[in-house]
Amino acid sequence: MINIEIDGKQIQTENGSTVIEAAHQAGIEIPHFCYHKKLSIAANCRMCLVQVEKAPKPLPACATPVTEGMKVFTHSEQAVKAQKGVMEFLLINHPLDCPICDQGGECMLQDISVGYGGGHSRYHEEKRVVLAKDLGPLVSAEEMSRCINCTRCVRFGQEIAGQMELGQAFRSEHAEIMSFVSGSVNSELSGNMIDLCPVGALTSKPFRYKARSWELSRRRSVSAHDSLGSNLAVQTKNNRVLRVLPIENEDINECWLSDKDRFAYEGLNTADRLTKPMIKQDGKWQEVEWQVALEYAANGLRHIANGAGAEQVGALATANSTLEELYLLQKLMRGIGSDNVDFRLRQSDFSSDGKQQGAPWLGMSVSDIGRADRLLIVGSFLRKDHPLLAARIRRAAKSGAQVNIVHSADDDLLMNVAHKAIVAPDALVETLTQVSKALAAEKQGQSTGGDAGAIARSLAGGERVAVLLGNFAQQHPQAAQLQALAQQISALSNGKFGFLVEAANSVGGHLVQATPGAKGLNAAAMLATPRKAYVLLNVEAELDCADPQQAMAAMQAADMVIAMSAYKHHATEYADVLLPVAPFSETSGTFVSAEGRVQSFKGAVKPLGEVRPAWKVLRVLGNLLKVDGFDQDTSEAVRDEAMKGVDVPARLNNAIGGVEARAASAASGLQRVADVPIYATDAVVRRSAPLQATADAAIPQAWMHGDELKKLGVQSGAVVKVSQGQGSVQLFAAADDKLPKGVVRVAAGHAATASLGAMFGTISVERA
Amino acid sequence: MKNIIDFFKSFLLLELLKGMSVTGKYFFARHITVEYPEEKTPQSFRFRGLHAQRRYPNGEERCIGCKLCEAVCPALAIKIEVAERADGSRRTTQYDIDLVKCIFCGFCEESCPVDAIVETRVYEYHGENRGDLYYTKAMLLANGDKHEAQIAKDRAADAKYR
Repeated sequence: MINIEIDGKQIQTENGSTVIEAAHQAGIEIPHFCYHKKLSIAANCRMCLVQVEKAPKPLPACATPVTEGMKVFTHSEQAVKAQKGVMEFLLINHPLDCPICDQGGECMLQDISVGYGGGHSRYHEEKRVVLAKDLGPLVSAEEMSRCINCTRCVRFGQEIAGQMELGQAFRSEHAEIMSFVSGSVNSELSGNMIDLCPVGALTSKPFRYKARSWELSRRRSVSAHDSLGSNLAVQTKNNRVLRVLPIENEDINECWLSDKDRFAYEGLNTADRLTKPMIKQDGKWQEVEWQVALEYAANGLRHIANGAGAEQVGALATANSTLEELYLLQKLMRGIGSDNVDFRLRQSDFSSDGKQQGAPWLGMSVSDIGRADRLLIVGSFLRKDHPLLAARIRRAAKSGAQVNIVHSADDDLLMNVAHKAIVAPDALVETLTQVSKALAAEKQGQSTGGDAGAIARSLAGGERVAVLLGNFAQQHPQAAQLQALAQQISALSNGKFGFLVEAANSVGGHLVQATPGAKGLNAAAMLATPRKAYVLLNVEAELDCADPQQAMAAMQAADMVIAMSAYKHHATEYADVLLPVAPFSETSGTFVSAEGRVQSFKGAVKPLGEVRPAWKVLRVLGNLLKVDGFDQDTSEAVRDEAMKGVDVPARLNNAIGGVEARAASAASGLQRVADVPIYATDAVVRRSAPLQATADAAIPQAWMHGDELKKLGVQSGAVVKVSQGQGSVQLFAAADDKLPKGVVRVAAGHAATASLGAMFGTISVERA
Repeated sequence: MKNIIDFFKSFLLLELLKGMSVTGKYFFARHITVEYPEEKTPQSFRFRGLHAQRRYPNGEERCIGCKLCEAVCPALAIKIEVAERADGSRRTTQYDIDLVKCIFCGFCEESCPVDAIVETRVYEYHGENRGDLYYTKAMLLANGDKHEAQIAKDRAADAKYR
């Protein structure tokens, strides 16, 4: 610890910290633009100049390390004169367009110029003009003349997002921020540049001219789009969500937000929102009153439960439904005597059910991941599935952690990967077995060759090892074996293992037992042996299920499908009742994040039209079906009932035992590798126009190794016919030599590939 | 004694004469009442009457929809909606002033960075129906067009004090 004095205040601060950090600790504000606590020091705006005793000239507080006995004056005559001088220079070229600037009212330059700017300008020459740039559908760089060249956006790209998509070109007065040749900014974290920009140079394109900052009301919320549980500030005006910003939470999202969380709100008020209950009569959809729709649904369910038997009723929900919704759904199903309820729609291997007592979770806290020094990430499209966790791991990798990958695709993670084994999906278990064996051998002092050996050596050398199973591993047909192997590997390396949980409330779904019991059918079985009636909660069968073909067949064969959805989607083809339920912004609820953090939130806006929160709809359905215990008045009451006696930390447990090794079904021909593209994960995201205009939302292609393409005799870019089961689609072929041979990567969760079959298994490709 | 004085005062109509002298004085003094509507008081160039929206000489509306007037309005009389126009500029799609709420404080005029919203010298207006005094953007622009010459003159006169 070092003792320094700032403005006469005695401060103790850590050795190695800078003056600005010490001042902020002590609550002393030093004006600054380019300094940001999460980014490296650039010291190029010079706004934070302060007077330091015995220094001949003012020093930049952000780049001056503290020394023992240092005396700093932040508001002395010399300091203020320097700060005012810098301010005058910054304002020379800054346009006076605050009235139309989207940053107006929340602009650092505006705020600081109130304190340090002059009343008038002494500059009468022409102002600098910087031409507008097109950075893609999310970030607007229409007014680059406003830029004060702090380079926060550049440093963010380099340091946090992992790719330098913006840079500063030219020198002195001609210096300007621009993208490289490719043009747009494609990072999945690009929205953070908008927050970082201290002026209005980089603003949100979807939010452009929508509202001024002071008109918006701020509501706390929790991200519904991935399992991190990012804290959101949902900003609303006139009962519409107009913007989403991060709320700083060092343990979860720090001060960042992924583009998915930030821009998904644009999908909330689309034209295909379902606003009135509808029932299908004589093949025609009719808008009806709630009472009619609910009674119709309840009668239908009662009829089938009494006639064909309650086990003929199945309930499917997405894993981003709230805890309350999942709890009431399973309670309703069990109340009418059916045990068929599940939310693990994309999972294909359920053999761990019964062998695993606890709820699968991250296995550690989010901040533990950042502290790990050796990581093994199995089957994860890390950057796209968990953008902010990837950023955390990227930072860990930067400070020396070794990241090892076992996966079936080799996307650029924009971080140093120590070792990787990229194998076909059916070889994943074998590879992990090799790693485990090599690790055991390593313990005996024997070294093994190959990728597996290298990974094992890396893990053996670590103190804080984390083994993480990604979405791909969870959806894998041998998921239980992968889990058992991950458990083995983490035990051998004295580490922890866990799941990079798929969706916002996957852990919550397990906690409230929205999974089938001993006699119930899981999601896959419910669709494989079609039921007579289905209750769907937020599910779009052809996009959310592991096998869209099977799911659609089951839906079409069913006598009664009750779809609770926020949107009019393909359910109109197979459902009998459509009940409009609220998306996350219009209902109160709870999500349990990957690390088991239970976070409740309130609705940010009133439900649109006649939309009702799903928990209320389920509650009334419970009443109509005369099931006991459906008399909660608030979502809090539902939550308290659901979580009564649930000791969350005790319930989180990844331990698994008794998994028998099962060989993968011998694959003949090509195997499918299916990712769920980042902007295709859930209903809201899929409807967000700006997100759908990004490069990440491009129409899926059939990616293959160059040699596979040669074998087929097609060029990259040619149209190929991709078939699975009875369905086939025409896609563009594309070469990716980093894919293992014998696989085709075709994304799932997208309308263009919805007529294909399961996410894993054989797939055939031929020339179109 | 008091009774005797009172007797003579009333007998000689002293009070009446006193009163008549006041009347007589004002009868010949200079008139200070204004015979409205035939006559009108002089107005300052800062007079705060009916609102108007101004245009630039090329016909382009001045207002850029910054909403500072809406924010500053103490009576919450102004309602603005903004959207991007086809040419990419920021323009209002709705600009309403409820003159029933308005307290004519002039803050809107003062806060306007482009001199778009102004208060004219017009104070003779009325509404016969509910809602007549709810002025929309079109009405305000029409006001501006009608009185632009006077408005411009008044702004010019005020310019040196700003």
